[in-house]
Amino acid sequence: MAAMFSQNPLMNGPNYSFNQGPSTASAGNKEHSFYPYTDNGGSTLAISGSDFTIIAGDTRSTSGYNINTRYSPKVFKIGGTTASQDDATLVLSVVGFAADGEALKERLDAIVKMYRYQHGKPMSVKACAQRLSTILYGKRFFPYYVTAILGGLDEEGKGAVYSYDPVGSYEREQCRAAGAAASLIMPFLDNQVNYKNQYIPDSGVGHELKERERIPLGRNEVEDLVKDAFDSAVERHIEVGDGLQMLIITKNGIEEIYKPLKKD
Amino acid sequence: MPGFDFSNHTRNAALHARGVPLPKATSTGTTIVGCIFEGGVVIAADTRATSGPIVADKNCEKLHYIAPQIWCAGAGTAADTEFTTALISSQLELHALSTGRKPRVVTCMTMLKQHLFRYQGHIGAYLVVAGVDPTGVGLFTVHAHGSTDKLPYVTMGSGSLAAMSVFETQWKSQMTEQEAIDLASNAIQAGIFNDLGSGSNVDVAIITKDKTTLKRGYVKPNERSKKQKSYVFKRGTTAVLNEKVITKQEISKYVTVHELEGGEPALAEKMDIDV
Amino acid sequence: MDTLVAQYSQSDYDREQYSQDEQMELYQPEPSLSLRFAMPPIAQPSAWLRAATDDNANPNCPIKIAHGTTTLAFRFQGGIIVATDSRATAGNWIASQTVKKVIEINSCLLGTMAGGAADCQYWLAYLGMQCRLHELRHKRRISVAAASKILANLVYSYKGMGLSMGTMCAGVTPSEGPALYYIDSDGTRLAGNLFCVGSGQTFAYGVLDAEYKYDLSETEALELGRRSILAATHRDAYSGGFINLYHVKEDGWVKHGFNDTNPIFWETKLNKGEFSNVTSELV
Repeated sequence: MAAMFSQNPLMNGPNYSFNQGPSTASAGNKEHSFYPYTDNGGSTLAISGSDFTIIAGDTRSTSGYNINTRYSPKVFKIGGTTASQDDATLVLSVVGFAADGEALKERLDAIVKMYRYQHGKPMSVKACAQRLSTILYGKRFFPYYVTAILGGLDEEGKGAVYSYDPVGSYEREQCRAAGAAASLIMPFLDNQVNYKNQYIPDSGVGHELKERERIPLGRNEVEDLVKDAFDSAVERHIEVGDGLQMLIITKNGIEEIYKPLKKD
Repeated sequence: MPGFDFSNHTRNAALHARGVPLPKATSTGTTIVGCIFEGGVVIAADTRATSGPIVADKNCEKLHYIAPQIWCAGAGTAADTEFTTALISSQLELHALSTGRKPRVVTCMTMLKQHLFRYQGHIGAYLVVAGVDPTGVGLFTVHAHGSTDKLPYVTMGSGSLAAMSVFETQWKSQMTEQEAIDLASNAIQAGIFNDLGSGSNVDVAIITKDKTTLKRGYVKPNERSKKQKSYVFKRGTTAVLNEKVITKQEISKYVTVHELEGGEPALAEKMDIDV
Repeated sequence: MDTLVAQYSQSDYDREQYSQDEQMELYQPEPSLSLRFAMPPIAQPSAWLRAATDDNANPNCPIKIAHGTTTLAFRFQGGIIVATDSRATAGNWIASQTVKKVIEINSCLLGTMAGGAADCQYWLAYLGMQCRLHELRHKRRISVAAASKILANLVYSYKGMGLSMGTMCAGVTPSEGPALYYIDSDGTRLAGNLFCVGSGQTFAYGVLDAEYKYDLSETEALELGRRSILAATHRDAYSGGFINLYHVKEDGWVKHGFNDTNPIFWETKLNKGEFSNVTSELV
């Protein structure tokens, strides 16, 4: 961290100086020396289809203006019986503070594994989703600094995506983007997956105009959307890039795809 | 009164103290370098401008004109580098006119440091000044607080460490022009790929006794890949609550309307449209 | 004797494994919905938590917890109407437009969610568990008064630790009839006929107070609930999305839809002539 001691303020980490809160003369906003969190940047994205779920994340890990590594996965298979997780049925993505994410993943994996050994069957997404919420809330007063997304197939074989806030409030959704570029990707998904603000041309005049109907997307289409979403996020967000890791959960197992992203 | 207007300073300081964030300035969290060679000097820069973690401009110009044979690479607050170099450029031009001699790089560097020192670092311009004048080749760095350096190879900005690592391993004295260009370009690329504040393309300016060559987009290692899908909306996708048609006759009450010759519509500006 | 023999004739291999108890321990590192929380290793955990998570005290806090809401519930002759919006915000970011802010504790009890989304979700689930245990122990359903008091005592025990919730418990029992309670994380617990909670509460109160009568018919009451939330979503930037409507009747609650505010707004404007402040005319 030689850059930290440079006299050039530009080099002292991401110098979001104008966005920084006041460091002096503020009332009641004390400086705390205990600061256990770092933002490692990156972004994740999950979309569920009629018989599959795709969870994707970039593979860059950053701190400040530095790249820690160009390949550190943010998306993990959960609850397989072996170290290779070949027979896993669930996928967890974590973005935010990588160490907390790793700890959370390990903990959930251990719990889901034990469930599988004891019951002789994999945990359902619904049960795992509820359990993950409890794990996160267990650290309500010392939170995991992560945004988690859990994916799998529900009891009917339909794609399921559950998204979380850092302290465990959760919701099942059609799609969700999280992390540094969430604000860039999520509006795109609202428009292209849930067809928000899209109407059927000539279906009526003024208020009679009908909204475009939401239909479950096909797998190839979703893969294209994910690639385009990340390519665009890489263009405009400095903490996103290097590689795109995609896990596709189907009834036949979990397929992994890796695609390169821009490295600047 | 020429100069800065400080009338909102006290108000803004008070607001900031109460927790209101100040407006974000576009900063060129940047990699800029300079390197001398036999008979000239080369400066180079990346082309990314950021605002916090967001890329504000993917292809901005960080090489600024001072005089025909003096150029500046700027890092720091984008507006400050732009206006400071423009200001000094104009003063230097007047100076050259009144002395009847070609402007010197040291003169430029001295004017910049005196200007920046006066504002105690509040003008966030970090510059690499390079040029060739009757006294020879000049290469300097000027920091926002007013300090300067004179070195055979220099780097500045958030990517300066990455770039300097290239210079420290590969620089040698008495390089040819092409060697210097390649070295500077490699140093910038080290910044582009290893520093998040830098990115996109490499711009290079080569200054020799006889001429200055600006090579914008000398290397473009970060072209955007083709989109997988087309995102063209069908006409009528957006809901319209109401429409109003303004006829040519009506509008000509307020402005003068010219008929265009031929079928081609006039284009004020061409835009890249997604198809 | 056999047990003694068994105890000493066990192979080393068997003893290497985890015992049944140890396995259970592993399987559940802590009992689910436990009351043991991890704490930061410092003297003032609550002050630290505030600096790290309270976006109101510190707009640049690293962890932004979902907030912002309009919820309402009122008693009338036909039972209780419970209505909410569905927006969750983290700072200025709309985290979700599809949150279910009415939590179905059991077939006769509803809870509403305002403040920290996770706090409400977790503790209302905990309340559901306690209510079910009460049912099993006493062979009858818990009263709304008792249920709300479990929650109030619980949040009071965490006072000053940084919980943030403003919740309403609406339910019906044979002993007390339809009953409505307001509980917040300060420890307040109030019985009442009409409550609005959240950042959009004032806007909802405006409509609700003006039109509220105890003798409202069922359709009128549902419409009033819907209209009050609509007013709040219209004026409060932190409320919006869908309108979630419930009616608590004598034999349990009935759901009356989860509807997009936008078409409801235009219907209200165009068919009833309200919201004349909004215009689609071009000048």
